[in-house]
Amino acid sequence: MKDYSSPVYTVRRKLRPFKGFLYLLPSIIVLCVFTIYPLIKTFIMSFMEDYNLVKGTYTAINLANYKELFSDATFLAALKNTGIYVIFVVPISVVLSLIIAVFINDVVRGKAIFQTLYFLPYVTSVIAIGLVWRWMFNSNYGLINSILNIFGIESIEWLNLPKYAMPALIIFSVWKSLAFNILIFLSGLQTIPQDIYRAARVDSTPKMRVFFKLTVPQMKPIIVYTFMMGFISAFKVYNEVYSLFGGTRAGPANSAITVVYYIYAKFYNSYRYGLAAAAAVVLFVIIFVFTMIERYVTRDRDKVKSK
Amino acid sequence: MTMTKATKKNHSQHIKMKPSAVITKIIEYVVLILGAAMTLLPFLYMILSSLKTYQELNAIPPVFFPSIPQWSNYVDAWNSAPFARYLLNTIIVAVCTTIGVLITSTLSAFAFSRLNFPGKNLVFSIFMATLMIPGEMLVITNYQTVSNLGWIDSYASMIVPYISSVFYIYLLSQFFEQVPNELYLAAKVDKCSDFKFMTRIMVPMNKSCLASIAILNFISSWNAFLWPLLVTNDPNMRVLSIGLVRFQTESGADYQLTMAASCMLVMPVVILFLVLRKYVLEGVAFSGVKG
Amino acid sequence: MKMKRILCVLLSAMMLLSVFTACGSTSNDDDSSGTTTPTADQIIDSADIEACEIVFWHAMSNKQEEALTAITDEFNATNEWGITVTLVNQGAYTDLSTKLTASAASDTLPDLSQAYNNYVTSYLDKLVHLDAYVERDYDEMDYEDILESYRDENSEFGFVSGMPFNKSTYLYFYNKTLFDQLGLSAPETWDDLITIGETFQSELGMVSLGYDDLAGLIEATLLQNGAEYISEDGAEFDTEEGLEAITYLMDMYNNGYARLVGEDLYFSGPLGNCLVGAYVGSSTGVSYITMNEGYELGVSTLPGNTTKAANTAGTNVMMFTTDLNKQAAAWEYLKFLTNTENTVYWAMQTGYMPIRTSGFESDEYQEYMASSEAAQACYAQQEAYFSSLNFDGSYDVRNDIGSKFEELVLAGADGQTALDELAALVNGILQ
Repeated sequence: MKDYSSPVYTVRRKLRPFKGFLYLLPSIIVLCVFTIYPLIKTFIMSFMEDYNLVKGTYTAINLANYKELFSDATFLAALKNTGIYVIFVVPISVVLSLIIAVFINDVVRGKAIFQTLYFLPYVTSVIAIGLVWRWMFNSNYGLINSILNIFGIESIEWLNLPKYAMPALIIFSVWKSLAFNILIFLSGLQTIPQDIYRAARVDSTPKMRVFFKLTVPQMKPIIVYTFMMGFISAFKVYNEVYSLFGGTRAGPANSAITVVYYIYAKFYNSYRYGLAAAAAVVLFVIIFVFTMIERYVTRDRDKVKSK
Repeated sequence: MTMTKATKKNHSQHIKMKPSAVITKIIEYVVLILGAAMTLLPFLYMILSSLKTYQELNAIPPVFFPSIPQWSNYVDAWNSAPFARYLLNTIIVAVCTTIGVLITSTLSAFAFSRLNFPGKNLVFSIFMATLMIPGEMLVITNYQTVSNLGWIDSYASMIVPYISSVFYIYLLSQFFEQVPNELYLAAKVDKCSDFKFMTRIMVPMNKSCLASIAILNFISSWNAFLWPLLVTNDPNMRVLSIGLVRFQTESGADYQLTMAASCMLVMPVVILFLVLRKYVLEGVAFSGVKG
Repeated sequence: MKMKRILCVLLSAMMLLSVFTACGSTSNDDDSSGTTTPTADQIIDSADIEACEIVFWHAMSNKQEEALTAITDEFNATNEWGITVTLVNQGAYTDLSTKLTASAASDTLPDLSQAYNNYVTSYLDKLVHLDAYVERDYDEMDYEDILESYRDENSEFGFVSGMPFNKSTYLYFYNKTLFDQLGLSAPETWDDLITIGETFQSELGMVSLGYDDLAGLIEATLLQNGAEYISEDGAEFDTEEGLEAITYLMDMYNNGYARLVGEDLYFSGPLGNCLVGAYVGSSTGVSYITMNEGYELGVSTLPGNTTKAANTAGTNVMMFTTDLNKQAAAWEYLKFLTNTENTVYWAMQTGYMPIRTSGFESDEYQEYMASSEAAQACYAQQEAYFSSLNFDGSYDVRNDIGSKFEELVLAGADGQTALDELAALVNGILQ
């Protein structure tokens, strides 16, 4: 049927190993132009002293921005806060949303309603979310303090005192990230073959056991995904800080400043482009290393599976 | 079809539940209901606030319910900008971006999860690396690019930069990898081309994930603010989210109008979610495909 | 090794892209014939202006946008040259600033734009020097009629960089009903503020004072005591007067007479709900204060000490077009926008202030002022206006000094400690 000697076929065969690139081509073009190119520009910018973005001028190529960055107490505080944020928010959020997703998937009545309700935060206006949470955290009449008071705990000035700013931000962010993770997990749960569960049901295996022995291993790629993406976006946290503290500053005395908040302020408010770029590069390197470690940790079994 | 089957099974299980299972169910419901209250509250607050007066919204301590619903807030918000035109633009941009993302994500995810080609890991690493830079750093350079392309005041400027998302490529490839490899090998034996395998088997099998991607991407495109503002000057090219900021000034904000506009902005998205929602929960029966 | 390969790929991708973007950018330099520094013989006579479209970017919304549109529509309908000014709303100030930076970088600046001076410090060469136009039309429009502090602000870069437009100042807003009950009147001096603080504390157990803008507060307080704030060389307030001013400020907070805004974000809420006795904030905020029923709002000038000093805020309109005909046309619009009649109309519609003395003194505005305490206060303190200078790092200081001060208040620092730490912060940034 096919003429195997025709030049078209030869070319085709030669190109076969590169077929993957053909599939990737649309993404590669868009990413190169709108992400990789500006990313490389950012790298270069970070080594330019007194870089003027508009004119493209600079005084020297050196490490001045990095030196300034690491001697800036605000940046170091931002690094520390971001680290704390990542460590707390991502695991809590992933675990909570996995549990909720499994629950939603398991209940018989109201599945659709719960699924919708848990997705609402994703569509609610950011301003509304900020207003509500500032009210919930309010020291005098906030819901959270009222609940604490019931248990005999004294009211906390969540948004007025620097030491409570990070805990408030973490609570808020866990809440805010649930909607996304739950939706992903719900999708993931649908791909688990039902026969596996049927077998478990016949044996009347306890639910906890089913969860850990069947659900979690089956969901592993999705769990890895939510952790990976969770970490990457948590390192880049900005919007949560902005909406919880009303956009005027990063919490009392800037106590909840994060790296991207710092980058934003330096880039858009102070016009310190080189410094902002250097901070972005530092963040990039941190995330890169972190992701590598994570991929290494979660690696072996993934490999076996895809072969 | 799979759905009805699954539901039936659940029901039969429901009837002969053991006491321990009943307790588990109760715990599940209590947790879910409490959690749902926490997610519903801000949404309710948004709706209630859109009906308050400026005074009610700024009262200390806050009042939860408006004494007289101020429907005029909606009229004011609607009249403050050419919302009909903005709506049309927003729909065009969101629909095009979402279709684009679905196509590019499927192609790329398929390449990463099923095809072998030299440098695959390297390319994947570079793709991942693009997620690691804060978007705030990219804005000005991208503006320059779009402006050099002559795309200011065009749909292209709002659509093209967003038709590929590593976020979803990675998500979808994780789902594609879930599909048993035997299926792929079987298809190969049957001389089914890669492209056909992707469109005929992978896509239908991962409808749930694709629906999630469609929802998530549509919403982020729907709510995008800074980029559409930057790349448009012509009021005829602007999108809904830009209308919202008109109620905020440096010395205060008419939040009640912002909330009314937010409610109007959010309704189409909620409807879309309700339409696509059931696909997210639609199970896949691997055995069926196998047989 | 892997990193090397990544780098290779990235670098080649970049090269490809820079070629592609470089090609694109050549098309933009078409109006290289124009200039941003027109001389007296270059500028086009107003009689020779040809019809054209002028694009004006702004960040005004609601009533402000309506008033601006009304003025512009009138200009478009009545001007003799067929000039059409197109208003383009660019969101809030921060969005406008971002957009200006982005378009400055890609040479797509509009003909006119609202801007704070600090927005444009990295591309001053793209601003049109208005000196020749001002010079030519000086008699006609009476430049000196514009308030002095505005003229200073618009020539701080060594040339006339713009025309003042939406200008506001900081005022003292207080709960008049409570003040009357306590037998207090609006404060004139720091001592009055202390008395008010004591009275509120002992009689009502209430905090008497708040400040919306801490960076502005520090600068104004220093100036009110005859001290200086900052210069390009660093902190200038490490002096006798400076210490006195900072000590006074810290005492206000440490004694509980003043408080931080904290979770309330703006003081207009706490004032309206009787949680503070008074606050200092922008004059345009007056429309956002709603007092609880039974309470009346009072507005007064900022109290001073050895001298008076009042912050001003608000943008100027700057010109970017290099086309001489467009410059002349845009200039006609600027003159129209800021003439006595329109500045009065603008002020009455929006709560901003007229930028001209003749505006303040016009019958129309005087009549309006009789019914607006805020307008009276603005007028009463116009001699005391100052605006912050802009230079490398001045905006870093502005961003950081407020949160540093907040930290010091929360720690209950004394005057000397606060002064030392603030000075160290400023010097760290500027030196």
